[in-house]
Amino acid sequence: MVMNLLFGLPDERPGGLVLTIIYALGSGGIGLALGLAYASIGVLWKRASLALQGATAFLRGVPLLLLVFLTAHLAGLTTGSAGLLALSLYSFAHVGEILRSFLAAYPAHLADQARVIGIFPLWEWLLLRIPWTLRYAWAAISTHWISLLKDTGALVILGFGELTTVAKALGETPANYDRWGVVFALAATLYLVTTFALIQMLRLVERRMMYK
Amino acid sequence: MTVDLWMGIAGTMVIWVVSVALAIVFGLFLAAGSLSLHRVVHLLARTGVNVTRGVPTSVLVIVAGMGMLRISNIPELPYVYPGTPAAFQHIAWGIVLALAFGSAGHLAEIFSAARSTLGQYRLEQMTVLGLSRLGRMALLVRECAAVALPPTGARMVHHLHNTAFAALFPVTDLFGFVQGQSSSTFRVFEFILIGCIIYVALSGLIWLATRALEIIYARPVPGRAKRRVLLWS
Repeated sequence: MVMNLLFGLPDERPGGLVLTIIYALGSGGIGLALGLAYASIGVLWKRASLALQGATAFLRGVPLLLLVFLTAHLAGLTTGSAGLLALSLYSFAHVGEILRSFLAAYPAHLADQARVIGIFPLWEWLLLRIPWTLRYAWAAISTHWISLLKDTGALVILGFGELTTVAKALGETPANYDRWGVVFALAATLYLVTTFALIQMLRLVERRMMYK
Repeated sequence: MTVDLWMGIAGTMVIWVVSVALAIVFGLFLAAGSLSLHRVVHLLARTGVNVTRGVPTSVLVIVAGMGMLRISNIPELPYVYPGTPAAFQHIAWGIVLALAFGSAGHLAEIFSAARSTLGQYRLEQMTVLGLSRLGRMALLVRECAAVALPPTGARMVHHLHNTAFAALFPVTDLFGFVQGQSSSTFRVFEFILIGCIIYVALSGLIWLATRALEIIYARPVPGRAKRRVLLWS
């Protein structure tokens, strides 16, 4: 049972906790990349910013389950890619707004110093502004990523083999009829341990970023 | 179809209202327990906070739903959730409890953080005012509201989105309506759009209500108060 929760059901591997982590990392990474692009566009072009802010606000107002349901019905997408797309969009809508507000708060004197030294604007953006934004927004992004790890559970409506789906499938089998509570207690413990490990890792990265 | 839609909205609203009310009560208990000097109470409260924050709501809802489905002797529970058949009302109650439990830890952290912003001197002032325990509590809530409301509002919007998990069981709600109508009519995107618009509107209403409360409970700014006095004089 533990192996199934960790690695997925025998005919659907990788699954379980491993797939949950893969999906959280993948969608978190895509969300961060899209968020950085959105924040940069938002800060550089104010007119585009308003329309983009409206779109992301709309995305944030829609439940993740509904987003998953929507992407699952998009033509040409497999269940796995639909899940990844929904989680990435969800992550982008939240992280993008965090990054936009931090990028807009970049101190003017740092921008002036870069101009005086004569750094090319693109390099200034990539080497100074974005690292500064990531450093200060890290705590807020970390909170979102921790939430994202747990939000992968929404993929249960696709019947996709991540941890919640595997726990549900195992709990519903006749063999585990009397032990369904144990199955879910184990799944909850795995989520708790993974969340705790992720919190510690993100704190470590935050500390290193601040010492630099 | 229109009746079903209204029933779905009503189902979501009732689930949200009842579970939010319970979550606030649980959150207050957990926050009070976290501040307790009694070691066992403190430990129990912290465990509760960490479990509710570390375990996904999806898991909590599935556990509650499956648990309720397996209970054979169910006591008669009040019929509260519109659209959900009387035979499944207990499942709806279970899901509401799970949703409340899922948000309680987050709310407890918000309440504790808001209380800590008051500082030791302000808390001591409240004690020496000679108010009753209830009066002190009311004053504390009033003082903390300005800090606690914005994150509480954000959590309540997230909580509204979590009510969609009720559709995993035979409980009537908006997401269940969208899923059901999409499957039966094949007009998938039309119903998804309707669902999106209603959820966004409901989220907006929650945000507006929170903003209104923020304005009502805003802490007075000394500079502004002085200016007003000068204007009158």
